[in-house]
Amino acid sequence: MSIRTDIPDRDHPRAVLDAEGVRDAYRRWAGVYDVVFGGVSAHGRRRAVEEVNRLPGTRVLEVGVGTGLALPRYRREKRVVGVDLSREMLEKAAQRVRQEGLSQVVGLCEMDAERMAFADGSFDIAVAMFTASVVPNAKTLFAEMSRVVRPGGDLLFVNHFAAESGLRWWAERSMAPLARLLGWHPDFALSDLLDPAQVRVEAMEPCQPAGLFTLVRVRNHAAMALAA
Amino acid sequence: MSGETGVATGGLVDPRLLEILVCPVTKGPLRYDRERGELVSEKAGLAYPIRDGIPVMLPEEARKLD
Repeated sequence: MSIRTDIPDRDHPRAVLDAEGVRDAYRRWAGVYDVVFGGVSAHGRRRAVEEVNRLPGTRVLEVGVGTGLALPRYRREKRVVGVDLSREMLEKAAQRVRQEGLSQVVGLCEMDAERMAFADGSFDIAVAMFTASVVPNAKTLFAEMSRVVRPGGDLLFVNHFAAESGLRWWAERSMAPLARLLGWHPDFALSDLLDPAQVRVEAMEPCQPAGLFTLVRVRNHAAMALAA
Repeated sequence: MSGETGVATGGLVDPRLLEILVCPVTKGPLRYDRERGELVSEKAGLAYPIRDGIPVMLPEEARKLD
């Protein structure tokens, strides 16, 4: 495992990401997102959906569904709801659902991942692909996903997590002040998402290319939602 | 799409989605106003619009009830 699980010592400013900044960034990204990002993230996305398909339970929430790149991969028995903060991305996702006749997609919603409009325990599985490093506060995202998934359900994350050390961590750290322009935190660490001392990670799997992304699976626990 | 928009203002929303949606502010129940294409949270005094079948569950985009 090459990603860091401790709390990184950040010695320089980290730009604050707010909802408006995220929305602006993805409005800029919407047109070219699939071309620029679709390829490099394809393996991580495929692996995450394979995991979702393998897991029991049909009620699936995809947080940060974006243009819906993953939607065609879900099994027909699954009942998928997708949320995103970007209107432009959601419209592309809706178009994909219509054009490809994706009957497994129950609906799409414009929503803030840190303040979701779902009742507690509405889902069996929640998956966030390349979303955790995008939201202003990933721990709030984690708590919200934990709330809307039933106890005993599964939380899945695919993300780029900061490297343990070396050149990559140095490069990631140097880019940190650019977060608002990029729309994500280049120096995002696993401990920004969850407290490794409190949350038991069930599985952690590096994804291609070159282990740049990691698939993390956590069993949802009732107490986690209370802690938030 | 053109066939769907005539059915309900704001477009069709799957009943299975409506069933789990709550107000993001109060986490309380919502009333589906088909004619206006809105999801109404009486407790928050907000009506969330549905645009092209996509509920917009953001308080800052919601209409304030009188």
